[in-house]
Amino acid sequence: MNGRRFRFGAALAATVLLAAACGGAGDEAGSGGGEAGAPASSAGFDGTTIRLGVLSPLSGPIAVIGQPLTEGNKVWFDHLNSQGGVAGKYKVELVQEDTQYQPDVTVQQYNKVKNDVVAFTQILGTAPTLAVLPLLKSDKMVAAPASLDAFWVREQNLLPVGAPYQIQAINAMDHYLGEGGGSPRSRICTMIQDDVYGEAGQQGIDFAAERMGFTVASTQKFKVGTENYSGQIGALAGAGCEMVFLTATPTDAGKIWGTAAQARFAPQWYAQSPSYVGALAQSAVAPYMRQYVTIASEGTEWGDDSVPGMRDMIERVEKYAPQQQPDYYFAFGYNQARAMTALLEKAVERGDLSREGILQASQELGTVSFDGLTGDYTYGPADKRNPPRSTTLFRVDPGKPFGLATLKYNFSSDAAQAFEFTKANP
Amino acid sequence: MTAFLQNCFAGLSLGSTYALVALGFVVIYKSTGVINFAQGGLLALGAYLGYTFSNNLAVAFGVAVLLCCVSAALVGATFERIVLRRMVGQPPFAVIMITIGLLFVLEPLVTAIWGFEHKQVNNPWNIRTVEAGGLVFGVRDLWTIGLTAAVVLAFFLFFRYSSLGLAMRVTAFDPEAALAQGISARRVYATSWAIAAALAALAGILMAAGPGGLTPSIGFIALAAFPAMILGGMDSPAGAVLGGLVIGLAEALARGYQDELFSWAGDNVSVIVPYLLMILILLIRPYGLLGTKEVRRV
Repeated sequence: MNGRRFRFGAALAATVLLAAACGGAGDEAGSGGGEAGAPASSAGFDGTTIRLGVLSPLSGPIAVIGQPLTEGNKVWFDHLNSQGGVAGKYKVELVQEDTQYQPDVTVQQYNKVKNDVVAFTQILGTAPTLAVLPLLKSDKMVAAPASLDAFWVREQNLLPVGAPYQIQAINAMDHYLGEGGGSPRSRICTMIQDDVYGEAGQQGIDFAAERMGFTVASTQKFKVGTENYSGQIGALAGAGCEMVFLTATPTDAGKIWGTAAQARFAPQWYAQSPSYVGALAQSAVAPYMRQYVTIASEGTEWGDDSVPGMRDMIERVEKYAPQQQPDYYFAFGYNQARAMTALLEKAVERGDLSREGILQASQELGTVSFDGLTGDYTYGPADKRNPPRSTTLFRVDPGKPFGLATLKYNFSSDAAQAFEFTKANP
Repeated sequence: MTAFLQNCFAGLSLGSTYALVALGFVVIYKSTGVINFAQGGLLALGAYLGYTFSNNLAVAFGVAVLLCCVSAALVGATFERIVLRRMVGQPPFAVIMITIGLLFVLEPLVTAIWGFEHKQVNNPWNIRTVEAGGLVFGVRDLWTIGLTAAVVLAFFLFFRYSSLGLAMRVTAFDPEAALAQGISARRVYATSWAIAAALAALAGILMAAGPGGLTPSIGFIALAAFPAMILGGMDSPAGAVLGGLVIGLAEALARGYQDELFSWAGDNVSVIVPYLLMILILLIRPYGLLGTKEVRRV
């Protein structure tokens, strides 16, 4: 009898507490002005600490990208936590899992941690992101992809940052035709990796060709890890290419430029940001790159304290990760974390840090500024989103940190403004 | 004509690298009947050892090449001594699985020691070129072809005239007869692994000295060299060299004439050419170009 009375009392107390908790959030949310009450505990949020997932290749060949990217995530959140955390009161904790850049492993790791986190602040790579996208949708989870593919823009469950690859290609062409000495009659060519990343670059060039009135004289495709590029370089030289737009990763780009230098083939090269890595500026190919290569990317050169975002980031790197070397991917991870913070702040403002609440907050998130580190991104409903259309062009300068010096900072062409983004599978 | 010759030169250089790797495959297969799937891992290890000698220890590049080959040979022989010797008499399948295991051990070992970063090996070749007869020759490519030729020659001399080479040939031909003649199979197996690892290391450091530099994925070329071994004949060192050169030339020429001749077949015909050739040769000669036809008593 006593036991039954105790169980009844406990159930009543629990009901009252639950009602009080729900009412607190709901009442304050109803008070208007976007000032909701404290968010209720939910998966990945215990009332004081927000846990975010990081699915990144921390081992394997792509760890060279995953490690600095994750370090960028960490430095931002270390800084944020030192200020009190999200909305000044909720500390952030990262839950890292190694994906080895394998889509199947990414799915396993996602399932392993999805109930311990409110969202994923990093999923690295196009294929891994595509693999978990259906799960993100069914779980109502938000994730920030570490990839500049254009079709993330129209996915509500994704929180991309930066101008997509197509924009880099379009702005590069605008520069070549405007200030780079080219004209629509120039022999313009492309050399692209034979995958979805390469297709993104080619799509940008094809769009630019239509808008700017040039034709692509020759397109050379290659498989990642090709050992000898003499055939492709010979074909580009044979086609009389005066300008070549390159979509590659650094190891292949080094071989391509090395082969071009050996063949005395000297067009003007414009390359997509992932083609470059700081080590190339210290390699034997550097003199050739210095003369003929322009890198299309975003933000400013490492250490440029005239850009507020870079100045702040360098200060925080010195404080939280002094061993960190200048790295493009680090800055990308840092920006991803900033975007996720803006989203979480919006969710806290709405008084709901549950998955559904964060997904809803992503519909209401406005323009997020990155203080010049990358272009401002207008979020909101996926079909209304407007990613940055800006690009910074860099020339290779081995004397600079990361080997890049700004050639033209943060510009956007009319063609880039006109580019329409679509979903991966419309 | 200039373009054709230039493509042929590129093919010879690429084929030389394939030949070195394929030769390593064949040396082990011929003496032990095992396909060594760790050849790519040994190639990466050799390249990184070369990087350490050349960059960290500031040894002259030529000496670094020699030292990385010797070091890799020691690793190969040690692995045979510690692990594979216990597998003598076991089914080849079990030994093959061990070589796959070694590959999976070597990959993280390399990245644990040297990291994932892109590295540039200090070397005198880089992207230097020489010109002759209107053709441009990469100095690294010339050295690759020359060193491969020298190694192959030394290899054949060793097999033909040295007592150890003779012992290896006898063991490969008939292990039991070799044992009856007092030939140490253990010594032969260890030597095979040492030679294969040294060949892989040489291929690795030659590749790393090029403009692409050095990354952990350098060992992937072993997959491309695999068809060369099959095409030449799995038990034929001469076939491995021939297969490597044929595959390299076919790949370079297919790439060079992609736009004119193969545009109807897609953008990357050169990638599948080695495998198409391998299938074609195997259909005509199931034991490869120079492989030994197996004779069975019924």
